[in-house]
Amino acid sequence: MIRPEDLGEGLLTWLVEQRWFRAKARGATTVGTRGATALGHGLQHTMIEVDSDLYQLPLGARRDIPDHLTPAVITRLGDESVYDATQDTELMAHLLTLLADGATVDGLSFRTEPGVTLERDLRARPIGVEQSNTSIVYGARYILKLYRQPDPGPNRDVELHRALRSAGTPHIAAPLGVISEGDLVLGFLQEFLPNAVEGWATATASVRDLLAEGDLHADEVGGDFAGEAHRLGAAVADVHAALATETGTSAASPDEVDAEVDAMHARLDAALSEVPELAARERLLRSAFDAVRELREPLTVQQVHGDLHLGQVLRSNEGWVLIDFEGEPAAPLERRRAPRSPLRDVAAMLRSFDYAAFHLLGGEDTDRQLMARAEEWSDRNRAAFSAGYAEVAGDPTEQDTLLRALELDKAVYEVRYEHHNRPDWLPIPLAAIQRWSMP
Amino acid sequence: MTESPETTRPDASLGLDGVPHTGETMTSDGHLVEPQAGEFRHARSAPKSAQWYKTAVFYEVLVRAFNDFTNDGTGDLRGLADKLDYLQWLGVDCLWLPPFYASPLRDGGYDISDFRAVLPEFGTVEDFVHLLDQAHQRGIRVITDLVLNHTSDAHPWFQESRQHPDGPYGDYYVWADTDEGYPDARIIFVDTEASNWTYDPVRGQFYWHRFFSHQPDLNYENPEVGDAMIDVLRFWLDLGIDGFRLDAVPYLYEEEGTNCENLPRTHEFLKRCRKVVDDEFPDRVLLAEANQWPSDVVAYFGDPNTGGDECHMAFHFPLMPRIFMAVRRESRFPISEILAQTPPIPSGAQWGIFLRNHDELTLEMVTDDERDYMYAEYAKDPRMKANIGIRRRLAPLLDNDANQMELFTALLLSLPGSPVLYYGDEIGMGDNIWLGDRDAVRTPMQWSPDRNAGFSRCDPGRIYLPVIADPVYGYQAVNVEAQLNNSSSLLHWTRRMLQVRREHPAFGLGEFVELGSSNPSVLAYLRHLSADPEHDVVEDLVICVNNLSRFPQPVELNLSEHEGRVPVELTGGVRFPPIGEWPYLLTLPGHGFYWFQLTTDVEEGEAP
Repeated sequence: MIRPEDLGEGLLTWLVEQRWFRAKARGATTVGTRGATALGHGLQHTMIEVDSDLYQLPLGARRDIPDHLTPAVITRLGDESVYDATQDTELMAHLLTLLADGATVDGLSFRTEPGVTLERDLRARPIGVEQSNTSIVYGARYILKLYRQPDPGPNRDVELHRALRSAGTPHIAAPLGVISEGDLVLGFLQEFLPNAVEGWATATASVRDLLAEGDLHADEVGGDFAGEAHRLGAAVADVHAALATETGTSAASPDEVDAEVDAMHARLDAALSEVPELAARERLLRSAFDAVRELREPLTVQQVHGDLHLGQVLRSNEGWVLIDFEGEPAAPLERRRAPRSPLRDVAAMLRSFDYAAFHLLGGEDTDRQLMARAEEWSDRNRAAFSAGYAEVAGDPTEQDTLLRALELDKAVYEVRYEHHNRPDWLPIPLAAIQRWSMP
Repeated sequence: MTESPETTRPDASLGLDGVPHTGETMTSDGHLVEPQAGEFRHARSAPKSAQWYKTAVFYEVLVRAFNDFTNDGTGDLRGLADKLDYLQWLGVDCLWLPPFYASPLRDGGYDISDFRAVLPEFGTVEDFVHLLDQAHQRGIRVITDLVLNHTSDAHPWFQESRQHPDGPYGDYYVWADTDEGYPDARIIFVDTEASNWTYDPVRGQFYWHRFFSHQPDLNYENPEVGDAMIDVLRFWLDLGIDGFRLDAVPYLYEEEGTNCENLPRTHEFLKRCRKVVDDEFPDRVLLAEANQWPSDVVAYFGDPNTGGDECHMAFHFPLMPRIFMAVRRESRFPISEILAQTPPIPSGAQWGIFLRNHDELTLEMVTDDERDYMYAEYAKDPRMKANIGIRRRLAPLLDNDANQMELFTALLLSLPGSPVLYYGDEIGMGDNIWLGDRDAVRTPMQWSPDRNAGFSRCDPGRIYLPVIADPVYGYQAVNVEAQLNNSSSLLHWTRRMLQVRREHPAFGLGEFVELGSSNPSVLAYLRHLSADPEHDVVEDLVICVNNLSRFPQPVELNLSEHEGRVPVELTGGVRFPPIGEWPYLLTLPGHGFYWFQLTTDVEEGEAP
């Protein structure tokens, strides 16, 4: 058994470089083992505590490391190299066998969802690294998401997928199995959609087509996306309706609404202190937020996606699919699990359309003609999305006060995010806020 | 209506005096004497080849439009026979001829007035046998349309039926005293017909017609009708024809309380036709024209447990507009979706696919979901509407863009199904929209820059339709002769692509597997024919990658399943880097495509 404590500085250095390591700024100082289980075939499941955070770290060790595993090596221990097992196709293939067997190894349990029989011996293939997890694709059938920093208690992603599965919506990737240890969900196996493409890629292909045209309007070019945007709106509404049926809805009290509006103001305060360009819009933003307090009708809340944007939807050969129901990435657990207005998802997607429209255009010296075209694309597809949504669930544009506040709140968040991470993109949310302030 | 001796002669309106035809004489019991296959020479047989239709390239050619032997301004069967060397050179395997039977031509020849005679302006049965014989000598097969559902009202059967209700033909058509039967059957030609029933003053009854009122439906309830139509099949099969495209098959039977389409007894009759073909004429094919959704059309292939026991082939209608939509949207989903919705077909069956032909998709045939989809995508887009509504040729639809014409043809030749080319598209012929919907795409084939485009030596004023003469698509610029002399022409390119396709049975016989990628503008798929040593089948694995966008695109394909294989580009034989464990990166120019064979021979052979 490999003891992570024995890996010393090598492990600490490696951890900080990983995209899923959260405390990058703080770094890693101590590592302790919280659990180590030999799963067979040389695969060791390990839970480590880095300072006070819990991480999942499947490990492998070999004397001779094949070329393709070199980037996965963490450090050397004795005459062996210890490496991140998620990059080893053979070891990952073994995980699928354990799931298909319904195995229990020490405290780790591998379970399929009711009625699911898994195909065995599929080729495993690790795919791109994400913020919070590492995914492995099996053949062209399944995708296993290993949560690097698993949350205790019910896993929101799994629970909501099960609810949506039971509601029968076609707009999700079917849940197939779960790897867990006690109340920690470590891995989630789902149907893989081999022919699906991210919504962002399909939307931006359309924008590129429009911007190359110049003299044609958004509704005249071949790459028009409005049909897709309309179907996407209907798919999101269908998922919301299914979540409402399966997990219920409630009415937010005036106090809860006030608290939410207060939070919007607080986020704006933080952004104003960092991004002076925002000051000119402060009055508009605050009055848009406060208008929500004046709404007389009760505000319906329910489980929603929580982190919806064009990168969280896939266009499959059958239609649109929503993925990753983990909730807002950086939010604390209770906040991610709390019921929210479904319009929060709608507002987030509308903002994403705006990003898709403008992201190809650089800073302020951009051609006004192209800016006008991008704006047309954004307006046309946002409207089509809302119309598609309205065909299945309530018309979001009928709640324009709330929708506006939510969109502006999201844009304020974006301003801050871009200011810190992608200053080149800062003009996109700023311009959106400015357009709201025009009569 | 005045009764004159002329109208009582059942063959009076055929215009076939002097050639053998139905009803020339009558037997003593009142039956019409019909020409028999034994009275004509038969064509030599085509080379034997089981399931040839699965790998064949079809070529739709209008007899009227191809070549005029008699120089009377109208193409004919002898003229077509004279151009078989060209078609052999091009590399087509089977000609599809729209109907060339005797007809008053009120419905483009689909209104047949004698199933056993040829339209005089096209020639004679002997001329057809000559064409067939010459085609077979070159390894080319010939199929034609046959309308099972109805006849022209000029057919001697109908003339007998209306005049002698108690005679042998009295029950050949669907007669009724009222026009109230089968109210649930929709009217197909709503623009011209008010009802599916029309009153006949001669017989004093109504007759049933699903199409035009001059096309009465045959009464399949009468077993003699089924027998008579099977005998029509036998007549042409005996002469040597290679098969039929069966027109309007869903409508053969009627039943009260139904929409009178796709009824079980219609399928029973098709099974009967198929049995005749299988038992008496192996290697011949039946192609169903059922202008319906693929999931409904598969019923016309028959029982999958037997490999299919009705039609060998059927057209896949919705694929064509989806190809246009996908390239216009620069998104593969319109194509990916429709193929994902296409059900598996029996082992002996094959789709027919096309970019252009004289039929077009109509929105009335599609499912509600699809209609919504089509409206959402098409209705707002005037250009897309024009693609399905008005009949245009490929080249003008694509603005004469060579890259797009090549991409579309490459898709046609590599998607699942047997491709059907439309005459003239191989040289990028144009259309003449001023001739109207029907005739815009039926102008004379452009052979040379000579008078009448080399189609006919007649006085130009006599030609059935004017040749295309505009500066871009006119015959002086676009013709076979010029393109034969230019090895980089569309014609030579098309020929090379047909040659490549012929070398790879995976295109016709292989499984279709879409290869997803993260790029929505790239459509990639695998055509895979597994090895079957028992039947001498060698594995053939081809990958097709198509860029539907006008911009250059990268694509990463997950080919790790084929790790170690070497992709060899099919048109030039260039070996690409071997496939490794990681995604295979390709870059494509705007509207570009690649065909690769995945070979297992890793070492590049040394030059001898």
